Amino acid sequence: MTRTPWWQRLAPLLGLFLLCLVLSLASPHFLTVDNLLNVLRQSAINAILALGQLLVIITAGIDLSIGSMVGLTIVVLTLLMRHGVSALLAAALTLGLGTLIGLGNGLLLTRLRLPHPFISTLGTLNVARGAALLLAGGVPISGLPPGFRAGVAGSLLGVPMPVVIAAVAYLITHVFLSRTVYGRDLYAIGGNREAARLCGIPVDRRLNLAYALSGAAAALAAVVLAARMNSGFPLAGTGAELDAIAAVIIGGASFFGGVGTVGGTLIGALIIGFLRNGLNLLDVSAFWQMIVIGVVIVVAVWIDVLRQRVGRAA
Amino acid sequence: MTPAPTPLLEMRGLAKRFGAQVALQDVSLAIAAGEVHALAGENGAGKSTLMAILSGALAPDEGEILWEGRPVGLPDVRSAQALGISIVHQEPQLVASLSVAENIGLGRLPHRAGPLRLVDTGAMRAAARAALGLLGVTVPVEAAVGAIGVAQRQLVAVARALHFGARLIILDEPTSSLSLGEIEALLTSLRALRARGTTLVYISHRLEELRAIADRVTVLRDGRVVTTAPMGAMDNEALITAMSGRELAADLQTGPPPPGAEPRLRVRDLAQAGRLHAFTLDVREGEVVGLAGLMGAGRSRVLRTIFGADRRTAGVVEVRAAGGWRAVHDVASAIAAGVGLVPEDRRALGLVFTATVCDNVGLRTPPDARRWGLLLSRVLRALAEAAVATLRIKARGIDDPVRTLSGGNQQKVVLGRWLRDTRVLLLDEPTRGVDVSAKAEIHRHLRALAASSVALLVASSEIPELLALCDRIVVMRQGRVAGELPRDRATPAEILSLATGATERRAS
Repeated sequence: MTRTPWWQRLAPLLGLFLLCLVLSLASPHFLTVDNLLNVLRQSAINAILALGQLLVIITAGIDLSIGSMVGLTIVVLTLLMRHGVSALLAAALTLGLGTLIGLGNGLLLTRLRLPHPFISTLGTLNVARGAALLLAGGVPISGLPPGFRAGVAGSLLGVPMPVVIAAVAYLITHVFLSRTVYGRDLYAIGGNREAARLCGIPVDRRLNLAYALSGAAAALAAVVLAARMNSGFPLAGTGAELDAIAAVIIGGASFFGGVGTVGGTLIGALIIGFLRNGLNLLDVSAFWQMIVIGVVIVVAVWIDVLRQRVGRAA
Repeated sequence: MTPAPTPLLEMRGLAKRFGAQVALQDVSLAIAAGEVHALAGENGAGKSTLMAILSGALAPDEGEILWEGRPVGLPDVRSAQALGISIVHQEPQLVASLSVAENIGLGRLPHRAGPLRLVDTGAMRAAARAALGLLGVTVPVEAAVGAIGVAQRQLVAVARALHFGARLIILDEPTSSLSLGEIEALLTSLRALRARGTTLVYISHRLEELRAIADRVTVLRDGRVVTTAPMGAMDNEALITAMSGRELAADLQTGPPPPGAEPRLRVRDLAQAGRLHAFTLDVREGEVVGLAGLMGAGRSRVLRTIFGADRRTAGVVEVRAAGGWRAVHDVASAIAAGVGLVPEDRRALGLVFTATVCDNVGLRTPPDARRWGLLLSRVLRALAEAAVATLRIKARGIDDPVRTLSGGNQQKVVLGRWLRDTRVLLLDEPTRGVDVSAKAEIHRHLRALAASSVALLVASSEIPELLALCDRIVVMRQGRVAGELPRDRATPAEILSLATGATERRAS
């Protein structure tokens, strides 16, 4: 939707490249195929969650409930499988459930006219987490069929399956946002909701769609996570919404809406992943990691503000 | 020969560049004490840059500024204010949640002695009343600014400047969102100020207004001063020529639609509880009907309700299409029936500022530009190219962000959405805040649409615009049709008397 100069679009990519350069100089273990695949595998879940968050942030909204939705859907998924439902059907039902909860977020916004999605999704955040804990009885659910783990957490031609799944999701979302009426409408609604409405765009239906897809992304992340952990932990995904938001914002999207790309979000998710990995390799404590990532988020958005100021003056 | 008195403010050889772009070049201008000096020019002529320099918001690259004959520097807004120069912006910069008195005193509130510095409410209100008194108006000083009207907000902003001891007040398009009656009231207040010796620099696109208030006028074009002359020495044609640098075709009007033209839009007893009452109107193909009325008379509401953007409580809207009459009940059915709306405020309602010209034109996506949910970018780009060519939109290309365009060109982008497949076009203030040559081009385009048998309904607060454009003018008052005037009988006086309720006339 927006066409920014190439050097502006490349800025996040440049940041990622510099980060990798510094890390490969700092640690001999960083630039190895195994480690890079490892980072990709670890980033896959956040990357998938960020994809859903991107759709919502483009509409000038936010979805705080995705972490809790991961928790609820992972519990439902693992319970279904433990009760003998086939892995494929269980995964499909889980995706459906995530979509429905997301749609609920959308309806809270568009039907009840709650003032801001911050509120509706904050409500869902608590409800979904509570439901997850109730269903699971507060304990992890294990004993999944062996084929599930092998299929979803295994690898395809040497590439970890989670990475393959994330890549497919990114490709589909990219086409969705850049080529379809629906994607274009989301940008328009985020850029100017009233103008979009007066051009005949069904604003409420599109918002419902964005939140439903965000829920679907959360469920997809839950499927991948369940396979990697080989269990369903009701507290899974706690705080995950914040990493997803960080990835989207580092990737150049704006909280004011109307701006953001799939490519940028991917880079944002990778920056967070590489940063965590690099700090681990360098033996930096988890406490310091939080501080570093906090600083990176603020600096990334600040750079974005500077970039836009330069872009406006030119 | 006696030497002329020292001007209050003099600019000599001001220049300002932004990168490679020259915004001002060799601008010299003297403002005499006590005069109302009009500043005219198209968008992009350099008015805003000049005013930003005078108010201390921007530093010039070259040239000097003299205040009462002494060279001064204006490094920031505060130092300009300290000298006595204040600017009142188009959208007054006030805090909506604070009271009128607090807004007038903000930054300089009187306070009682003591460590808590409690605000002395009584003194604050008295000072606010005194400042408003200078304007000869009474505004409830305890009311929140958010609760008073736009016109009163302008007065509050002027009073705030007076409270800060302004001797020179720059008014940047103060009337762009005011109705006729409010404009008249503002001008009266400004005359009262002039009588007290306050000097005013007045910026507006509306020539009638400049004529009503200004003593002298300076015209800027492309960053240079074209001329400075007594207002009486320049007629409108000379002003327009000076601003645009070329002669404009004066006659916009083509003939009215032939008598046999069929109705295109049929509105029957349209109502919105408490706000709009039994609005009935036919617009024939090729006809341009104007909607006049004071602010709040319901002009915008009629357009928005016809379009389905506002909910109606009663009434029928129908559009004649190829297959007969089609009912319109919401935005989607309006667009499907071939109705378009160019809304009042392009920034808030018309454009997606984060997007390009192409995306903004294509926001109303015709059915042939989409297939299986996919956008056909070839069709959309052709649509945008056609809009740029037909409306002469000045942009480097259709991939320019729409925010980089001037106001007039942005308005053309909104118009460009409805180039195709439009049977009825509803326009709300189609040329507000648009410079004279873009305005003429938009008018020409609207007449051309009418000539191709589109039915147009135009709401405007500018009576000259309606007189120049419309075949017939419907005047509204308090949500009702107060009367209807054919073009040959419509005069500003007649329209105003219907709008204010001085005469009542049944729609014929």
